[in-house]
Amino acid sequence: MAHRRKSIGIQRIAAYAAIAVALVVTLFPVYWIAANSFKYDIDIFSIPPQWVPANPTSKHYHAAFVERPFLIYALNSLIIAVSTTLVSVVFGSLAGYALARFQYPGRWRYQISFWILSTRMMPPIVTIIPLYIAFNHLSMLNTKPAVIIAYTAFNLPFATWMMKSYFQDLPVELEEAAMVDGDTRWGAFLHVALPLARPGLAATAIFCLIISWNEFLLALILTLTERSQTLPIGIAGRVTQYNTYWGEISAAGFTACIPIMIFAFVVQKHLVRGISFGAVKG
Amino acid sequence: MTVSIGAKFENSFERWFERHLRVLMLAPAMLVLLALTIFPSIYMIIAAATRISPNPDLPWQFAGADNFLRLLTDEQFHVGLWNTLVFTVFAVGTEFLFGLGLALLLDRYIRRLNFLKTILMLPMMLPPVAVAITWKLIYEPQFGVLNEIMFRLGLPLQAWAGDVRLAMFSVIVADVWQWTPFMFLLMLAGLASLPDEPYEAAAIDGASAWRQFWDLTLPFLKPVIAIALLLRIMDALRLFDLVFILTGGGPADRTKTLSLYIYQVAYRFADPSYAAAISLFVLFTTVAFSTWFIKRMRLAD
Repeated sequence: MAHRRKSIGIQRIAAYAAIAVALVVTLFPVYWIAANSFKYDIDIFSIPPQWVPANPTSKHYHAAFVERPFLIYALNSLIIAVSTTLVSVVFGSLAGYALARFQYPGRWRYQISFWILSTRMMPPIVTIIPLYIAFNHLSMLNTKPAVIIAYTAFNLPFATWMMKSYFQDLPVELEEAAMVDGDTRWGAFLHVALPLARPGLAATAIFCLIISWNEFLLALILTLTERSQTLPIGIAGRVTQYNTYWGEISAAGFTACIPIMIFAFVVQKHLVRGISFGAVKG
Repeated sequence: MTVSIGAKFENSFERWFERHLRVLMLAPAMLVLLALTIFPSIYMIIAAATRISPNPDLPWQFAGADNFLRLLTDEQFHVGLWNTLVFTVFAVGTEFLFGLGLALLLDRYIRRLNFLKTILMLPMMLPPVAVAITWKLIYEPQFGVLNEIMFRLGLPLQAWAGDVRLAMFSVIVADVWQWTPFMFLLMLAGLASLPDEPYEAAAIDGASAWRQFWDLTLPFLKPVIAIALLLRIMDALRLFDLVFILTGGGPADRTKTLSLYIYQVAYRFADPSYAAAISLFVLFTTVAFSTWFIKRMRLAD
């Protein structure tokens, strides 16, 4: 691009150095939790710290996933994340398409869109007490469906806005052509718009998966036992006032990061749009 | 006969479906959102105006504005409010400066950056609980990495997250680590969409790089900056996971955020009415701030 002026050598070196520092600072903590998850306790506590595990062991993974119920926590996380994602993406695509394509009287399109976005402004801690009481009345506390319902509510504004932004980018002529050929509006949505928006659907789904997989506060309050507790809750449970099971939580924590690191590379093209609610085009 | 009636019914159903498609497509999402925002709001208003008895058989007593008046004299609430504001200002401010700086560097000096970009944005997508655990490990006073670095540099060792003076700083550093990538990515997207012509004109006029940044880049980036700040401020104001794991709000309440305090009031002190009052305060200030901010930055268009 023309506005990038030809740069002087020293500036360039300084820039590369700064970027290298940023890379090290970014990667070191991730490396550190991984390294500690493969150390024996005595090596975790060694002074000075052992930069590379001298005697690598999978002991903590065995302790967490075989002896303790972290496999169940991970399965709960998976079930909850996938169900939440399915519902959010379906409802979000429907609403996103309606907001992107239909005519509305006056400023209704803007009003509805803004209202949907504004529901996301509600801090989770504000909604959690009434939700807790409601699920308690329905005898749904400590069940996966309760967590799925709560997560769906928190993912929907995001899913709707993101899908709206993808549908708005599609050329409207293709749907119009299908409708001229005798297809209904619903048919045009189902057979033309939806397949074209597949990259958007995938990106939205992965963001919903990540958000649900990572969520902590709602699960902390809505879940009580292994029946519904998720991975983050299981990890937090091993940080007690008296003892922190460093090896175990490092193993579980690093395991929780692995799917995210894979997904990060899958969504890299859609990142900006995803994290900005579709408000900034990636 | 039956077949044609069936077909006719199907036909009219289809017509009805098609005519109401707009509402039908909006309905599922709107109903879920209505149920999960309107109901809690109403519940919170009622709960905040009553004194809920710990005994579920006793009726709620009307308490008027009592719960809200308590906000004025509750020192713990003031501490939580102050901590939340300090955290938000310093964490989001630092993330913005680092993110913008890094984006300017990458935009100018590195062309093929998809792989780099993905690595640099990793922290933001990792589970906050795992991030908190990692930083707890780094801050650990005895065997933590940070004190090892301090020792090698000949600096005094610190208790970091366990130190009254450094706890908030430690929380902010961990948050900056996780969320600078967010600012960085949005700024990078903003920079990629800048038009070339004004810069060509400025170069002909002999404007310095600094002037170009100040007069062209910043004004062009303003909408992206505003969105990034708004989203981050809204998240920072509700900080919970990181302090819950890293410090538990301590030491001496130095990192107790409003979200953590509401959690404690509701579940440890079993006082949902007062928790509701604090929550409503948080909700109103958040919404008031966002609305003001959106108007001020003219984001609505």
